[in-house]
Amino acid sequence: MDPLWTNIFHKKLDEESLAYFLKHLPIFSELSPRSLATLENIVHVRNYKANETVFEESDPGSGMYMIRSGMVKIYAREQNGVEEELARLGPGDFFGETTLTAPAPRTASAKTLENTELVGLFRADILELAERKPAISSSIFLGLTRVVSERLQAASLEIRRLQNQLGEVISPENVET
Amino acid sequence: MSSVVQNPRCWTRGQVALAFLVLSAAIASGLAVYSSASSLTGLSQAAFSVLFLPLLLSLVLSFLLDPLVNQMERLCTRTGSIFIVYILTLGLLFLAALWLTPHWQEFWSNMRTDFPRYTAQAIESLKNLMAGLHERFPMIESYAFPTKVRIWAEQLMAAILAQTPQSAMKVGGLMVIVPLFTFFFLRDGRKIMRSCVALAPNRHFEMIRDLSYLISRQLAHFIRGRIIEAIIVGLVITVGLSLTDIRYAPMLGIFAGVTNLIPYIGPIIGMVPGILIAFVDLGAGGQFWWIVILYILIAQVLIDNFILIPVLISRVSNLHPLLVFFAIIVGGKFYGIIGMIIGVPIVSIIKITLLEIRAYRRTFRLPETALEIDRPH
Repeated sequence: MDPLWTNIFHKKLDEESLAYFLKHLPIFSELSPRSLATLENIVHVRNYKANETVFEESDPGSGMYMIRSGMVKIYAREQNGVEEELARLGPGDFFGETTLTAPAPRTASAKTLENTELVGLFRADILELAERKPAISSSIFLGLTRVVSERLQAASLEIRRLQNQLGEVISPENVET
Repeated sequence: MSSVVQNPRCWTRGQVALAFLVLSAAIASGLAVYSSASSLTGLSQAAFSVLFLPLLLSLVLSFLLDPLVNQMERLCTRTGSIFIVYILTLGLLFLAALWLTPHWQEFWSNMRTDFPRYTAQAIESLKNLMAGLHERFPMIESYAFPTKVRIWAEQLMAAILAQTPQSAMKVGGLMVIVPLFTFFFLRDGRKIMRSCVALAPNRHFEMIRDLSYLISRQLAHFIRGRIIEAIIVGLVITVGLSLTDIRYAPMLGIFAGVTNLIPYIGPIIGMVPGILIAFVDLGAGGQFWWIVILYILIAQVLIDNFILIPVLISRVSNLHPLLVFFAIIVGGKFYGIIGMIIGVPIVSIIKITLLEIRAYRRTFRLPETALEIDRPH
């Protein structure tokens, strides 16, 4: 095929571009190039320095963050003020997606560990998009639902496994005593 | 130069000249900065006063048209949908103008002869009323009230006649500027908002984005509700008046609709000319009472209070009557009649903003001060 035509019809996304980054996130992997271009216009790119708080526990949560570069620590603060690290996330990871559709306080805190570029997607932007381009917003919601459902499924499997383990630990003791 | 090195406390002529130059330059530049700053504030004030009305009107218009444009955007691009909405609006306006022009011409040509007649009649009845009062309460000193009313009415008439060409020029200018501004607000409003929100620091960005959305949604709801309410009240009064023999029904309907934008006081001002004209032209007969009932019971109580306000405008954004009076007085002081109309919505906007922030804080139980974080719950 003529290289000119392939250039027109198969325009590869520039690896540096925001659309390329979004395309390679599991949530947006099935979006069409047009939807990606629209999505590009509604996300917010924010630059954080090292050790900057992204959000604190019990802050009002209204969206998710995707890590384009850098490192983010998710932690919970215990009663005595000690930070308990829950997760450490790197490029391509995302967090806070549960508050995207349901407004709720944050359940953990997030802090950057180095200079970090975060891409934020907030409820307000998606709701505005839903009024203008329902098709695109529904495909974004579909991807989001898929990811959240997968996590929920994994979590319930984990709960069942832990319950079983707990049963195994408790029941022999009960029988013996 | 060698003498300087030997005796550093003694300044050479060159150094004195340099010091003089530096000092005078500092003073001059300080004065220049000061004077330019004061002229800058003057400039910005002038720019603000010129831009205030067109900006406000185009903001209101873009809030009004935004849902329509959003609907159209499902079919084509944003710019295209704005053009479609513009063409539809222009068509509607054209039809309205076609319908209104003969009425307007009749109104305008009769105004000069009719206005003195109406005021004369009103003054006559006032005089009778005063005479009656004087008979019953002789201790009231005869106060030249009717004369005052006549002078006031003549002044009003003269002012209207003198102001009309001037305001026609202004309206003509607005008719060019406002659609232009509205176009850009509709097309780029979201981008403008985004770049404003993007200035927020990282720590507060998320909350500010969310609040800006909630507030602008409430504002859009409020402005749309108010305008639609005014249009419906105006239509109801126009139709109701058309059923009687009263003249200028469309003008009176429009007047009632516009004044309906001011809560509490507006409807009363809106019904004065209609009731006056009805009283003078039709006498205190059945039609007169029908018009009074139309203004008060049908338009205000039934349509506005029972149907439109609960449906279109949330009770939350209702203002205390005292606040309404303050807003009208201060608005009138700043911008005249237009200030009276826009004063109340501006206070409502401030109130909506404050309420939204409070509701937001309550939803997430934000700590009011840093101290409360440490308090055990």
